[in-house]
Amino acid sequence: MKGFGIWQAFLLIGLFGLVVLFYQGLWGDPTALPPVIIEEPASEIVAPDLYSGEEFRLSEHLGKVVVLNFWASWCLECKLEHKFLLAIQKRFESRADFAMYGVNYQDKARLAKAYLEQYGNNFKHVIDAKGKISIDYGVYGVPETFIIDKKGVIRHKIIGPVLGDSYSDLVENIIEPLLNKPESGVTS
Amino acid sequence: MRIWATFLFTVFVFFPVSEEPLLFAQDGPMPPALSMGDDELQAKTKEIAKVLRCAVCQSESVWESNSTLAIQMRDIVRERLLAGESSDEIQAYFVSRYGDYIIFKPRFRGINLLLWGGPFLLLLFGGVILLRNLSKWTKPHPELPEAPSASLDPIDEKQRQRLEQELRKG
Repeated sequence: MKGFGIWQAFLLIGLFGLVVLFYQGLWGDPTALPPVIIEEPASEIVAPDLYSGEEFRLSEHLGKVVVLNFWASWCLECKLEHKFLLAIQKRFESRADFAMYGVNYQDKARLAKAYLEQYGNNFKHVIDAKGKISIDYGVYGVPETFIIDKKGVIRHKIIGPVLGDSYSDLVENIIEPLLNKPESGVTS
Repeated sequence: MRIWATFLFTVFVFFPVSEEPLLFAQDGPMPPALSMGDDELQAKTKEIAKVLRCAVCQSESVWESNSTLAIQMRDIVRERLLAGESSDEIQAYFVSRYGDYIIFKPRFRGINLLLWGGPFLLLLFGGVILLRNLSKWTKPHPELPEAPSASLDPIDEKQRQRLEQELRKG
């Protein structure tokens, strides 16, 4: 093949790379965000309980699998997932090594309480008054759910509502394996 | 009565109620940002917030946006400046939470190097290809006869007149 040199080969490789990137861009999920804080130690949370005002500290729950759900009363998708969150709590509430907390995001306590009264409630909630917790967890919007393992490391993050397949996946493939994992090496 | 009014006026005008801790009540050396004036703090906050992307907006910076998240992010920038953190440390904090996406100007490292260097590499690549082709085009073709090196013979009077005639015809 006369005239097909190294430059043409580089050009072809470059063009092929661009086509691959273009193809990925076409079929990729445009809403997908990089999972930045997965596998990182969860930031400490110190926040008042929505009802009692008592101080909640995440670090007091080391040794437990913690589900943190960021929600707001004005969030429509939160309403869709709410019964699934209640189901998660109901399924694992008997286990001492499980805890689930709601983090109320950019909301008013009065509206949050009215929401819980309307849709039901079986787990505790804390207030993120100044948005510090949400920003510490890199939250873009609600709902977002984080799974923290017994060592206090964020193992999974779900952007959007937990329902249908994502609910089954969360319960069976994430929470249960984490709960059944031996507790050795829990740091304090 | 006037003394009390003056006292209250002084207290509310010069010592407004604030949630920030009283600076003069702190012990130990003062962190650098604590010595900032309001204007300087505002300018520094603006400088950092302009680089941060509002995570819930369309191409707006944290400084420009009025969304609740952007306002909260601005507050965090201000708090961290007051705590003595540098611009780089504050940016690093937001990147550690949201990834490189949160800053408008990609950092000069990792895969971002491709973004920074890519256009220059492409320019270099294109330039090299252009140079190679140009040198090919200007090189005499081996199969074509060489141009006569001798100068052309001057035209005689008859030819000149004919040429002029043809030119006049247009």
